[in-house]
Amino acid sequence: MKRLALLCLGVIALAASMLAQGGPPPDGFFPVWPPLGSEFTPIASPELAKGPVPRMPDGKPDLHGPWVGGGSNDDIEKEGGLKPGELPLLPWAKALRDSRKEEDEPYLYCTPMSVPRVNPYPWNFLQSVTSKGPGTIYIVHEAGDAGRIRHVFMDGRPHPGDLLPSWWGHSIGRWDRDTLVIDTVGYNDKFWIDSHGTPHTEQLHTIERWTRTSYGVMTNDFTLDDPGAFSRPVALKFMARAVRPDVELMEYICTENNQYGIAAGIENVYQEKGYGLEARPEGAK
Amino acid sequence: MRAQFAALIAGLGVVAVSAPLMAHHSFAVEYDPKKPVEGTGVISKVEWTNPHMRVYVDVTEPNGTVTTWNLELGAVNSVLRRGWKPADLKTGAKISFKGYGGRKILTRAAADALTLADGRSFTGASGAPDAPGK
Repeated sequence: MKRLALLCLGVIALAASMLAQGGPPPDGFFPVWPPLGSEFTPIASPELAKGPVPRMPDGKPDLHGPWVGGGSNDDIEKEGGLKPGELPLLPWAKALRDSRKEEDEPYLYCTPMSVPRVNPYPWNFLQSVTSKGPGTIYIVHEAGDAGRIRHVFMDGRPHPGDLLPSWWGHSIGRWDRDTLVIDTVGYNDKFWIDSHGTPHTEQLHTIERWTRTSYGVMTNDFTLDDPGAFSRPVALKFMARAVRPDVELMEYICTENNQYGIAAGIENVYQEKGYGLEARPEGAK
Repeated sequence: MRAQFAALIAGLGVVAVSAPLMAHHSFAVEYDPKKPVEGTGVISKVEWTNPHMRVYVDVTEPNGTVTTWNLELGAVNSVLRRGWKPADLKTGAKISFKGYGGRKILTRAAADALTLADGRSFTGASGAPDAPGK
């Protein structure tokens, strides 16, 4: 029995190293090994990850990865570093979250995940350079359901005052020393913040503070501010990891062959009512 | 020994990676961990598609009827990144599978291990190939 337990431990260790794509054993550099998502997208080895932050010609950090992670997926409270119950949801929002069923996630029907969600596929920052110098920064996701290209305007413009709410909102960015700060408003309320069903309203305002701390690690100090659904702004922290250098973004068309729900007889509840049209208490928005 | 070892890894793989098994959605929403399924048959169709790759396998039952299994794998991107190539899964080839049946339709299953006639075994629905000789 003891031998079997030892064998099992050995095989688990082997499986873990296989998941890590044959990377070296952990030495404490990564808090979790193998990192979440690395079974789907191989990440850079610890040796490479420890390397210095690359720089653009103007001296700003080069945020090019590609990256995996850097946001939450299943439960923003837990994955953002909060204790159970710490997410300050207003009563109606908590009730709505608790009533939502994971099987009804809009994302499962190939709608965008929006901010700050990630799935275990790579994404990238693209820092454009024009004849006038550094320009708009683009964020591209591999997964089609993670969405379209985000534009982060770096020219100092304000948010427009008459935004039509959209899945990705309107993003403006600036550098705070070596940290890229992205401020986004104008979100619609059609996506779920996580697969747990955490809701938000069109008042959602997010601030991402991206800091590349080494070649392989980039932190996202994230502020979630939505007075329509939360009693106060919330500070969360996520970590992205650079993927293995030979991994590039691939095509991913989510609607190509999405057979979600058929195996379990799950009904698409949005076919009739559309996204984001759940019943809410008076004055909730 | 090699086959036993592969089977052991496949079994433990279920324990180790069942939570994030499906990148696009939770495994447990659609598939029942209490309904392990397995079979041997012939590949009738392979869909190298997103959000999930699918392998259809025709299994001839003892009474002569043919059941077509619709096996869901990970996203084709993750399958390709694990080293699978279209040449590895050809229509008409013999294949064995283990997985978990759909909560409503058993024959729509999540594949957890696929074994080809030449002994190559792929474990994990995300498509981790066991290289020959491993």
